[in-house]
Formats: sequence, structure tokens, C-alpha cells
Amino acid sequence: MLKKHNILVVEDELELAKSTLSFLSENGFLPFHAQDLKSASKLLKQENFTAVLLDLGLPDGDGMSLIKEIKNTKKEIGLIIVSAKDALEKKVEGLELGADDYLTKPFFFPELNARLKSVIRRLNLEANQEVMLNEITLFPEEMRTLIHGKELELTAKEFGLLLYFVSNQNRVISKTTLGEFMSSNYADYGFTDDVVYTHIKNLKKKLSSSGAADYIKNVYGVGYKFTVA
Amino acid sequence: MKLLTKTSLNFISASVLFFLVGSIVMYFSVRNIIAEDLKNRLLQQQNEFIYTAQQNKVTDLISELVFVQATENKLLYSFSDTVLIVNEKYMLYRKLAFSYSQNEQDYKVSILLSQSESDMLIMKIAIMNVGFAMLFFLIMFFVNRHSIKSALSVFYSTIRKLEDFEVSQSETLSLDTAEIEEVKKLNQVFEKMSAQIRQDFISQKEYTENVSHELQTPLAIISSKADELMQADNLSKVQMEQLALLLETTNRLSKINQALIFLTKIDNRFYTEGSTFAINDLLKEKLEMFSELIASKNIDVKLDVLETTHVYMDKYLADTMLMNLIKNALLHNEQDGEVSIKLANNTLSISNSGKPLTFPEADIFKRFIRSDHNKKSLGIGLSVVKSICELYGFEINYQFNNKHIFNVNFDVL
Repeated sequence: MLKKHNILVVEDELELAKSTLSFLSENGFLPFHAQDLKSASKLLKQENFTAVLLDLGLPDGDGMSLIKEIKNTKKEIGLIIVSAKDALEKKVEGLELGADDYLTKPFFFPELNARLKSVIRRLNLEANQEVMLNEITLFPEEMRTLIHGKELELTAKEFGLLLYFVSNQNRVISKTTLGEFMSSNYADYGFTDDVVYTHIKNLKKKLSSSGAADYIKNVYGVGYKFTVA
Repeated sequence: MKLLTKTSLNFISASVLFFLVGSIVMYFSVRNIIAEDLKNRLLQQQNEFIYTAQQNKVTDLISELVFVQATENKLLYSFSDTVLIVNEKYMLYRKLAFSYSQNEQDYKVSILLSQSESDMLIMKIAIMNVGFAMLFFLIMFFVNRHSIKSALSVFYSTIRKLEDFEVSQSETLSLDTAEIEEVKKLNQVFEKMSAQIRQDFISQKEYTENVSHELQTPLAIISSKADELMQADNLSKVQMEQLALLLETTNRLSKINQALIFLTKIDNRFYTEGSTFAINDLLKEKLEMFSELIASKNIDVKLDVLETTHVYMDKYLADTMLMNLIKNALLHNEQDGEVSIKLANNTLSISNSGKPLTFPEADIFKRFIRSDHNKKSLGIGLSVVKSICELYGFEINYQFNNKHIFNVNFDVL
């Protein structure tokens, strides 16, 4: 049994925190919750965290100050800022202070999951870098894919998609969520469903021709599900 | 016209007018005085003549400037000007002619007085007059100019500082202290106004940030709950679809919110800093990002970069502008359609095939205007492009000529 990663969720919106916590525990994390800066820094001293999800607008101050505090602990803690403030300056400031990623509210859980896992992978540089699932082995750093130990050529988008699915197993992922992921929050108004569909179709084709099981199931009218028995 | 030029011109024209009128009046009054003087001297000589003639014979009194002739006329009395030739020179004289009786005989006596001396006098006075006046005006002109200049120096510095004033920069407007009451008041008004404007700017900035935060957080709760619900095993197909729609709509709402906040930021000049760079590479880079969309619609994209085009823009806004233009050309296109992108003459032209608009051409850059063919579009992208162009003074226009054509001219207006 793998050791569970402790995740600290600093979020003042209770409902959002509740959903996030239950999502994280469903996905094999051990989440902790802090409602404000004070309790967050208290928890940081008590527990060893792998990563922190940090909301910037907190009742007792700006979350930016906590970034410095986390960086001062000298421990390797992954840090993802989750903020409703889409202001570019905030993003830049946060990343400069040492945050590993920045998510804008509203975000999608699969997206959070994928980013969290990616941050954790990057932190454990010595440990195994590959992501393994039955016959599928992924090397995120090199963007290499092995199926049954044999190399499979995937485009960058297809690789990203496969990694995203593997990170979010047995979960219904809506077309909207996938579209947002594929446009990597860049094209402001989302990619079209057609583009998502085309990519998934191509990915499925490549996977089946290399002998992988058919994991990606279409949930009609809703989206997709990466099903692992 | 500059204030100094205007006041100087006023001063000069008033002075010249005054000088002209003054000179004419003076010329005539001096002439009058001198004429009066000549007349008095002639009358005095007449008295002397009459006095002397009582003891002497009239004809003995004839001299260089006194002429006596016999006449029939008893009532002669007149003043007139006359010219004599003396030493081959024409000389102007004033003449008094009167009749005088002696020994039953009437004589016409003419007494002459030279006018050339008085003419000289008038001339000298005139020259002195002009000279002094010129000197006076010259001195007054420079004194006036200098005093206005020094009095308004604070005023000019105020103008310079107002020109440099940028509402988004943090430093406050501090104007020099003025001696002159009016300028002092003006500066006070400007300082108060600029503080007010900056205050409004900051509160507006905070407002947009707060609106964003206040709306995005509930949206985050909705979409997280919908996503959670969707994972339940016992949902019907219809329920699942409704949840998916809920997620999609929430996402759409959030995008609209973000886009509107972004538009407000552009319109309120939040992005004032920038740099000059060649837009060519950025264009290629952005086009690259759409390769999947291009492939999925099988669109034939032609890129014609004829020359390096430099623009002064905020990098993020340049990104957004190009992304929105390219995306517009791709999304509102048809399967196997065409897109042509050209960069020449400091102008970016993007044209694409596609169905004609279902709304008036003039509305194309308006918010929330979208074609019936593409209901999923938010109808904000082109408004954003337009706002960015307006911010930098670029001209953008649209026309339909079997295909949709957008031109952005980077010449700053």
C-alpha cells in the first residue's frame, strides 16, 4: 500500500472546500482543511504536507504571505494557487514567489487532480518518474509512451490527454472539462467539441492498434470515462 | 497660437495703432502751433512797419523781405504761402499782404517770413518722436514678454506635468507652487481632480477584481457540485446529460464574466505598458496553437508574411488580439474552408470563407452579437479585438466580399 500524500487545502468557502476534500480523498489523497491563514500556518507546523492548494483571498489576509512561509520551511512542498482573481499580475507574482502552478476558479476537479499529480511527480525527482497502469507506461518528462513495453508514437496533445485520463481513472469527465483542458486555459472560450472528439478518436485508434485495452468509454451526451476494472 | 505670441501680437498691434494716430495728431498740432507763431510774428512786423512808416517814406522801407507796391485796393489783408528763389533754391515763405495809405496813395505791403526753419523744426520733432516711440515700444515689448513668461512659468510646468500624467501609475500629480493667484488656483483644482480620478480608477480596479472574485467563487461551487454528482452510479441518462449541460453553462457563464472583466480592464486602460516587437513570429506562434482546430476542419491556411512589422503593444494584449482574430476566422469557417493571413504595408489582413453574416455588418464588433450559424460562440472575441485596437490607435475594419475580411492597420493614428 502506497503512503497517502497529505494535502493542505486553504479555502475559506466551506462548500467548495467540502467538495474539494471529498474529491481528494476519493482520489487517494489525505486532505486537510484550513479556513484562514492562521490555521493554515498552524497546520503547516504540525503536519508534513506534500502539497498545498492555496486560495489567495482569505478572511485574514492575502494568501501570498503564506507562500513565503511555505518556502521558508525549506521542505519540498508543492504549491498550487487556486484563485478567482484572474489578474495576470497575481499569477506572475505567485509563480515568482515560488508557486508551482496557478488554477483559476472555477476549475474542474479532473484538472486539479492532473495538476496536483504533476506537481507531486516533479517534486520526487529521485523516485520513479513513470506512470504505470497495467500495460500502459507513461514518461511525462520525455513524453514517451510504452504499451506492453513497446514504443507508441503520440502527439503532444494525445499524450497529454492520455496522462489526464490515467490521472482521472473511473471518473466521468464532461466534454466541457476536456475542452478546457485541451485548450490549456489558453483559448479563452474553449475548444470545440469536434476537436476534443477528433483527438479522442485518434488516441483510441492508436491505443487499440498497439494492443492496449479499450479504457476510454464514451458516456453519450456527457463526455468520457477512463475505466479501469 | 501660443499665449506669449498672442499677447505680444496684441501689444504690438495696439502700440502701432496708437503710435500712428498719435503721430498724426501730433504732426498737425505742431504745425498749427508753428503756423500760429508765424502769424503772430508777421502781425508784429506789420505793427513795426506801420510804426516806422509814420516817420519814413513807405518806399524806403522796402527790403529783402518787405515788398511795397502801389495799388488801387484799399482793403487788402491776407495771409498766404509763397515761394521765392533765393540763391537758386526754392524757399517756402509765409506772406502777409495788407494795404497801407500814405500821402493819398495806397500801397500793397507784403511781409515775408521764411518757413524753412519751422519745417526743419517739425522734421526734427517728428524724428525724435519716432525714435523715442520705437525705443519705448521695444523696451516695453521685452519687459512685457519677460514678465508674462516668468509669471506663466508655473503654468507651463503644469501643462507639461498634466501631459505626462498617467492614471494607472502610482505617483501623485504634484505641481509647482505658483505666486500668481489664478495659476495657484488652477494647480489646486488639477491636483484635486487628479487625486479624484486616481481614486475612482483604484476603486474601479478593486470593483472589477471583486466582481470577478465574488462571481467566480459561487461558479466554482456549482461546477464542483455538478462534477461530484456526475460521478454517482445511479443516475439516468437524462440526469447525466442535464448535469453535463449544467457544467457547460457554468463554464460559459464564467467565460463571459472573465471576458467582460477583461474588456472593462482594456477600456479603462489597465494595460498601458508595452514594448516594441516584431509581430511576425508571434503570428506564426499563435497560428501553430490552432493546428488541431485547423486539422479537424481541414482548413487550408495561407500565411503570407511580406515584411517584418513592428508594433508597440502589451505582449498579453497582442497575444489576445491575434488569438481572437485567428480563432474567429477558424470557428466561423466551414468544413474544408480557407483562411488567408497576410502581413504587408503595416497591415494585418485575415480573411476566411464562411456563410455571410446574419446581422448588419456594422454590428460585427459589438458585444454579444453572433451569427445564427454559431450559437455557441460568446460574441465577445471581436469586441475584445476592437477594444485593443482602440487602445493603441490601430484602425480595424471588416468587409464581406464572398469571404470575411478583417484588416488591422498598425499605423498609429
